[in-house]
Amino acid sequence: MGRKILLVEDDRETSSYLAKGLSQEGHSVEQATNGQDGLFRATDGSFDLIILDRMLPVLDGLSVLRALRAAHIETPVLILSALASVGDRIEGLECGSDDYLVKPFSFAELLARVNALLRRREARVDPADHRLTVGDLEIDPLSRSVRRAGKKLDLKPREYLLLEYFARNEGRVVTRTMLLEQVWDYHFDPGTNVIDVHVSRLRRKLDEGFEKPLLHTVRGAGYMLAA
Amino acid sequence: MPTTLRIALLAGLLALLSNLAVIGFIYERTHDDAVTGLHRQVTEQSKVLTDVYRTGGRAALDEAIQDTLAYADPQTAVALIDSNGKQIEGNLAQGPAVQSMQEGFHSAIIRLRGQPSPHQAEMVLSRLPKGQWLVSGRLVGEGLAFRLTLERSLLLALVVAGLLGLLCGVILAHYVSLRIGKIAAVANRISARDLSQRVPLSGAGDSFDRLGAQINAMLDRISNLMEELRLLTDSLAHDLRSPVTRLRASAHAAAETSDPVEQEELLTSVVRNADALIRILTTVLEISRSEALTGRNQFAWFDVGELAAELAEMYDPLADERGASLNYKAPTRPVPLYGHRQLLAQAVSNLVENAIRYASSGGEIDVRVRPGEKQIRIEVGDRGPGIPLDRRQEARKRFGRLDSSRSDEGAGLGLALVESIAHLHNGELRLDDNQPGLLTALELPVHPPQPAR
Repeated sequence: MGRKILLVEDDRETSSYLAKGLSQEGHSVEQATNGQDGLFRATDGSFDLIILDRMLPVLDGLSVLRALRAAHIETPVLILSALASVGDRIEGLECGSDDYLVKPFSFAELLARVNALLRRREARVDPADHRLTVGDLEIDPLSRSVRRAGKKLDLKPREYLLLEYFARNEGRVVTRTMLLEQVWDYHFDPGTNVIDVHVSRLRRKLDEGFEKPLLHTVRGAGYMLAA
Repeated sequence: MPTTLRIALLAGLLALLSNLAVIGFIYERTHDDAVTGLHRQVTEQSKVLTDVYRTGGRAALDEAIQDTLAYADPQTAVALIDSNGKQIEGNLAQGPAVQSMQEGFHSAIIRLRGQPSPHQAEMVLSRLPKGQWLVSGRLVGEGLAFRLTLERSLLLALVVAGLLGLLCGVILAHYVSLRIGKIAAVANRISARDLSQRVPLSGAGDSFDRLGAQINAMLDRISNLMEELRLLTDSLAHDLRSPVTRLRASAHAAAETSDPVEQEELLTSVVRNADALIRILTTVLEISRSEALTGRNQFAWFDVGELAAELAEMYDPLADERGASLNYKAPTRPVPLYGHRQLLAQAVSNLVENAIRYASSGGEIDVRVRPGEKQIRIEVGDRGPGIPLDRRQEARKRFGRLDSSRSDEGAGLGLALVESIAHLHNGELRLDDNQPGLLTALELPVHPPQPAR
C-alpha cells in the first residue's frame, strides 16, 4: 500500500533518485529543497514519514526536527546525513528522529529502513493481538516463548530479540546495520561479519529440520523473515 | 603612527603628567597671596602716578614722585627714566636698562638710593607719551624672594621633565621594539615556511622571555602536529589507493564484460571496495573527533561490566566460528564509569575483533574488567603471535600496520581509534606481552573528565 512521504533534501540529484525509487515502491513522494519549506510542508501532519537531510539551506535538519517535535508532530523521521561519526548519530537520534542513515547509503538500506518505520506506524495505529505469527512460527512477546509447528524452540535471550525484531518486520528486508542498531543498540560499523554469525545461528535453530525455510538472505541487502 | 613613536609619546606624556602633579602640588603649597598682593600694590602705584602725569603734566608727576618717596615705606622703588635710560627723578641707584625693556611686570635686581646692597624687586614698567619710562616697584623680602625663585624653577623643571620623559619614552620604545622585533622576526621567518625557527631567549626570565617560551612551546606543538598530519595524509593517500584501484578495475571490467553472472560479481566487488573506502574515511573522522575531545557532552554513567559482558556475548559466536574460544570473567560488582558508552563499545569491540583475527586456531581469548582504586582496566588477551616490544609504538599509529600483506578493510586504523577513544576519557591504551600473545588493555580513570560546556 502506498504511503505519503516527505523528502527534504537539497541535493537535486539525490532527491530525484530517491523520489524515483520510492515512487516505484508505490509511495507518493513530495519534495522540499530547504529546511524552511520542509518544515512548512511537514506541519500539516499528513505525512506517514519524513526523510530529512541533516545539512540543509535556510534551516538545518535538526532544527526542523526539533521544531516539529516541539509542535507535537510525531510523524516518523528518518535523518540522512554525511556526518558519520558515532557521536553525530547519537545526537541525531537524541533530537527525536526515529532513525539515522549515514551517506553514502545503498537504496536497499534506505528502503529497508523506510519500510520498517512505516510498519512501526501501522503497528502503533493498530495494536493487534500481542502474539506474532509468521507461517507456522508463533512468538509470544510476553513470555518470550517461540514455537514452530507447535514445537518449542530454545533460544538464547539475544537470539530471541533478534527473532522478535525479524518478526515485527515480517516480509521486509532487514539490513545488518539495522540489526546492530535495533537489537544490540550499537551505532558503529563492525569490521567483521559478527552479525551474520548471529543470524546464521538463529537460522540453524529456526529452520533446521523444517522443510520450508523462514529466514531468507536477501543478496546485497540483508535478511528477511517470511513464510 | 608607528608603535614605537606611540610608545615614546605615551611615556613622555605620562612622565609630564606625573611631574605636573608633583610640581602642581609644590606650587599649591608654596604659592600665596603675597606675590599677588605685591603685584597689585605696584600696579596701583603706577596707575596713580600715570594719572597724575596725564592731568598735571611733568611738574605734577615729579612732585608726586617726591611725595611718594617721602611718605612711602623704604621698600618702595619709583623712578622716571628718559628714553636714554637716564633717571630724571626717583630713588633707583642701580637697575636694569629700562629703555630696552617691554612694558609690564618684571623681576629685577636693583639697588635703592641710600641702601648698601642690591635686592630683588618686582616692578611694573609703563611708557609715558613723551618716551619716558615710569618704574613702579617694591623690594621683595627674603621669604618671598625664595618663593618667587622656586616658582620660576618649578616652571623650568616642568619643561625639563617633559623633555626627559620624552627621551625615556624613546629609549623604552626602542628597547621594547628591539625585544619584540626578535619575536616578530622569528614569526616572519616561520610565515616564510621555516617552522624550525625558535625565539631566542635572553635568559633574564622576564615577560618577554616568557612570551618567547610560550611561542616556542606552541611552535613545537604545531610542528609535531604538522608532521603527524603529513604522515597521516601520506598514509591515507596510500591506503585509499588500493581500494580505489581495485574499484576502478572492477568497474571497468564490469562495463566490458557481456557475461551477466560475471558482471554481477564485479559490481558486487565495486560496492565492497566502495564500502571499504567509506569505512576508512569514517574511522579517520572518528579518530580526529575523539582526539579533538568532541563527544564529551554525550558522556553518561553506565556499568562497564555489563557492556563488556554484552560485547563478549556478541563476539562469542564469531570467535567460535574462527576456532577460538572467548572467555569473559565478570567482575563481582557493578563497575560504574562516566563515559561515552557507544565509543567505548566500539573500542572494546575493536580489541576483541583484533584478538579474534590473530588468535591462533584453538586459542583462548580472555576478556576481563578489573575495577581498581583509581582506574578501571578493560583487558583483552589473546594467544596469537603478539607484537614485539619494539614495534608496539608503531602498532598504535594511524595506518601503522605491522602486517603489510593485510591490504584492505583499513585494519591499520583499529588500534589508533581505540587509543583516541581512550584519550577522550583521559585514559590510555596499553599493549603488553600476554606470554604468549598480545594483552591489550584500556585503562580509564575512575574520576572521569567532565563534559566541556
